[in-house]
Amino acid sequence: MRKFDLIEPKSLAEACALLGNHPDAKAVAGGTALLTIIKQGLLLPKLLVNLKKIIDGSAITFDPVQGLRIGALATINEIETSEIVNRHYPALAEACHVVANIRIRNMATIGGNLCHGDYQSDPPTVLAALDACVEVMSAANVRQLALTDFQLGSYETALQPGELLSAVVIPPLPAGMSGHYVKFTTGSSEERPCAGVAALARIDGGVCRELRLAVGAVSAKPSRITAEALAKDKILTADLITTIAAEAARAIDPIDDVRGSADYKRHLVGVLTRRALEQLANGKTEMKS
Amino acid sequence: MTLVGTNVEMVGGRAKVAGAVTYVADMEFAGQLYAKALRSPYPHAKLLRIDASKAAALPGVRAVVTRDDLAGLNPYFGTGVEDQPVLVIDKARCVGDIIAAVAADSKEIAEEAITLIEADYEELPAATDILEAAKPGAPLVQERHVDKNAGGNIHGVYRAASGDIEQGFKESDEIIENIYHIPPVQHGHIEPHVVTALWEPSGKLVVHTPSQTPSPLQEQIAKVFQMPLNRVRVIVPFIGGGYGGKNHARIEPVVALLARKARRPVQWILTREEVFYTGRRFGAVVKIKTGFKRDGRLWARKVEAWYDMGAYALSGPANTKNAAIIAGGPYNIPHRDYTTYAVYTNLPPAGPYRGVGASHVCWAYESDLDDIARRCKLDPLEVRLKNLIQENDRFITGETMISVGVSECVKQVAQSIGWNGIAEQEKRSDTIVRGKGLAVAIKSTSTPSTSAASVRLNADGSAILLTSTSDMGQGAQTALAQIVADELALPFERITVTFPDSDITPYDKSTSSSRATFHMGKAAQLAVGQIREQLFQAGAKALEARIEDLELRDSRLQVRGVPERSLTYPQLFKAIYGEAAGSLFGSHTLRTEGGIDAQGHGKGSSFWFYSAAGAEVEVDTETGKVRVLQVASAVDVGKAVHPIQCGLQNDGSALAGLGSALVEEMRYDNGQPINSSFLDYLLPSMLDHPGEFNSMLVETPHPDGPCGAKGMGEAALPPMAPAIGNAIANALSGVRVRDLPVKPHKIVAALSNAKERR
Amino acid sequence: MKLAIATTINGQREEIAVHPNQTLLEFLRDELKLKGAVEGCSVGVCGSCTVLIDGKPVSSCLTLASNIEGKSVTTIEGLSQNGELDPVQQAFLKHQAFQCGFCTTGMIMAVKGLLNAHKQPSEEQARDYLSGNLCRCGTYKEVLAAVKELARP
Repeated sequence: MRKFDLIEPKSLAEACALLGNHPDAKAVAGGTALLTIIKQGLLLPKLLVNLKKIIDGSAITFDPVQGLRIGALATINEIETSEIVNRHYPALAEACHVVANIRIRNMATIGGNLCHGDYQSDPPTVLAALDACVEVMSAANVRQLALTDFQLGSYETALQPGELLSAVVIPPLPAGMSGHYVKFTTGSSEERPCAGVAALARIDGGVCRELRLAVGAVSAKPSRITAEALAKDKILTADLITTIAAEAARAIDPIDDVRGSADYKRHLVGVLTRRALEQLANGKTEMKS
Repeated sequence: MTLVGTNVEMVGGRAKVAGAVTYVADMEFAGQLYAKALRSPYPHAKLLRIDASKAAALPGVRAVVTRDDLAGLNPYFGTGVEDQPVLVIDKARCVGDIIAAVAADSKEIAEEAITLIEADYEELPAATDILEAAKPGAPLVQERHVDKNAGGNIHGVYRAASGDIEQGFKESDEIIENIYHIPPVQHGHIEPHVVTALWEPSGKLVVHTPSQTPSPLQEQIAKVFQMPLNRVRVIVPFIGGGYGGKNHARIEPVVALLARKARRPVQWILTREEVFYTGRRFGAVVKIKTGFKRDGRLWARKVEAWYDMGAYALSGPANTKNAAIIAGGPYNIPHRDYTTYAVYTNLPPAGPYRGVGASHVCWAYESDLDDIARRCKLDPLEVRLKNLIQENDRFITGETMISVGVSECVKQVAQSIGWNGIAEQEKRSDTIVRGKGLAVAIKSTSTPSTSAASVRLNADGSAILLTSTSDMGQGAQTALAQIVADELALPFERITVTFPDSDITPYDKSTSSSRATFHMGKAAQLAVGQIREQLFQAGAKALEARIEDLELRDSRLQVRGVPERSLTYPQLFKAIYGEAAGSLFGSHTLRTEGGIDAQGHGKGSSFWFYSAAGAEVEVDTETGKVRVLQVASAVDVGKAVHPIQCGLQNDGSALAGLGSALVEEMRYDNGQPINSSFLDYLLPSMLDHPGEFNSMLVETPHPDGPCGAKGMGEAALPPMAPAIGNAIANALSGVRVRDLPVKPHKIVAALSNAKERR
Repeated sequence: MKLAIATTINGQREEIAVHPNQTLLEFLRDELKLKGAVEGCSVGVCGSCTVLIDGKPVSSCLTLASNIEGKSVTTIEGLSQNGELDPVQQAFLKHQAFQCGFCTTGMIMAVKGLLNAHKQPSEEQARDYLSGNLCRCGTYKEVLAAVKELARP
């Protein structure tokens, strides 16, 4: 690997200060994304701020009022195996479980995953459906913004120089809301998603009170499908499902990549959305991993 | 005890599980330097200027080589065609062509030095599409090596024919015609190409490399540096996977050049991206037209296949020539006309990959066979059995085929997957359908070819087989030790098989085309034969018995059936040399006969190998996703020297075939590779591996093979993709994707087209 | 400038100095001469460089060497005790769960990780956990057979 220096803060505050003082420095946590692009020569930073030795950044806590707070340095594996996450947000555990392989999940952090801004990823799609916010810290202040506002495009985030993503915050889910994440690959099991769909619903006596639908890996960033609103206070009939699925396929702005053409991705989003909604309508909570 | 046919512990197994194998990348020499290369960013470009002075001036850089360092050398090398320069001379012919190389104290410094090399190019129009490249007027990749009569970038045209093709089509009840596309794929050896070269003070060159072809490699390097063979020493330890990707000289010449200039040992380990620039399977387009009778008899078949060799030929011409005779499959067809074209393109060099040449045409002829059966409303298994060649049938080459186990292979796989005849697909739901498919394949081995073996017997009754056969995981050392042990009636532990070392081990054509057990095994047997002769002569005298009454048994030479009248090995040495010391030698150079002429006639292969595959799949008709539920493969091995190792090779071939069928494809955009990394090019994983994965060995002994054995390492690969393709088509009521790999979007498109046509 | 850290490698406490841009794989191979972990893809996909950190498998090709500070690293060289192969190594040998051997050390370390995470893994768990270790020789069936034996209570 090309040469770079490493500074190793012991706290988030110290890390922010360092990043503030070294505007060209890059923060590194698990390293699985950043070191890959350094090896590929796409980025040649002179200085890395290593977050891996920070001790206060990886806690996963839940509060019925505040919801879930995941320290940005929590690894993907810590999230997928977290009892709290599995109890309150199983769809997030599902999405974390299908990321890359066990080694990468042991190394990669949720903060790194989001800051990398790779659209071909699974957790952001579920986080979008969960109305997740991210907490962004700098030496001067802490701000919170919606995940969908944090991710601006492919490999593009709202992170400013000197800022660090310090936590992911997920509001508590309304009682009775459940659902799943589906990753679809077009090649080997080990591939990144060609498309990912997260669908959550609160169904009360057969009537859908709230539907949340997010689609990822098809366009530059994961998106909530606005047609989800059509389901409010309706029964999820076959017709309604077809309408929403068609709307989801129409609404996205898919891009061609090695995992599928834009046309195919659009087709896929229609199918996967319809299936996800059918599953919700049938009240099935089981899901194959 | 007979060891051939048993599952002894694999030689090197303990070292492998202990992490104690020394692969080439694990070696370190005093003063060793590390290499990196500047590679062409263009598929086709004149190299106008190159200035490496800044790189050379970087502290820690010990040598930089460019085209200016080729003076006094034969700068072009190649297996059949000397078309590949050690470094780009006048123009780059593919992305990744080596422009310059650096040797430095560390990889980091070498990497930095590369960025300091200035190179100016003039981009040239590139020939990147195989059929376009074959047309007259296409930009020429290799001006000096094309067949002027054929036109375009065609290097060679190869033909095999029998009967009267036009008459055959006239006599046919029906004719079908299709075009198939087979993309290039990666060999996928997890160990990248790696070479360490050093020059001894005497001026002798030593090259450590995981090569499948140490002897031809030695010849090529010697030719480049204009030295006799004894001044070039090629040493090959265990190889971390080859599959054809480590045949031929690749980066050895440039590493040797760097080491010579630096006067230090130089090691170059390719990055995975560079491996993608260094080798791949040929891409191909196959046009196939078949006339048949309504009862399912194949009557006339015309095949034209274009093989994309990339920028450098390697063994492409020979592979393409061999493909011509098997282009229509292992079938008896009265009228045949097969033509193959070896075509240069501005893509990275292609070369042999497990199942070389055979996989491409097999995808075409086996997909077509199921279409034919469907048209005839017959069971595809029946149609195969009706047409498959049998013992003593004449092949297109005119030769009489022996040791033909292909029908047995396909019957076994059919049984294994629960083949139930012509049955239509099984519907699991409105969108999930299941189907089954079968396929067979035939492949030749490199013919004629040469393998030499030497055996040294020690006085204590232990022996060493000196051989240039490489062990790349197939277990060659194990199988050869079993054969030698049996010939000498010694326990397995008493036999050592050397690694290839050209200072010590004799010539061998290659460890490829599934030839090692057959050729080297036979050569070893015959080499031991010379030792046996000496032992028997001495023993007859000492035991006062006739030679024909003697036998080697349980580490002794004895009068048959009379163990009391016997001599141990030390006693035999004493009888010969007067003391239990010294060495007995035996050696044999095996040269197989044959080869084919311009009409495709002759002896096409010293042994033919046959295989069959079966698959059951589940297809999601909405997403196009295919799940492989089970696969089976059967290979006619002649005699399984080590059944477990044979089974493992079948598994590897079958799994790679599954990858080619559904997942794998090297992609280019106008000659620019777009998925040259394991992030974007995935090999099949344990989750892609179906739970039911049955591999079977059929034993139809071959009279020329050691103990009846034939080669088998690649055999299970070619039929796997068409078996899966046929299973998919079976699930989809005959709707078929003819372009590999069968990706989900292609199935969705094919179903949607079929719906429109209806 | 090198970073001085304290770590444990194969049960041995070590005070070491690493380069800032050095990966764990480079450190193990180049400095400690532990050559059992090998590089196949350098991007965390193939698994041939798998080692354990605190009992969990990681890709040493993407781990900064500095990050093993205060951790316990286990490599293939650390498995056998007094010349006796570890049970996982023995099971691989018995089931001939390898061919060329290049992915094998990583595969064995991944199986160690699997058994740390699940005492008696089902075949499904094993496939899921090991799917990130690629073997082009195709010896998956035999690895699963070895795991099955190891998973027996």
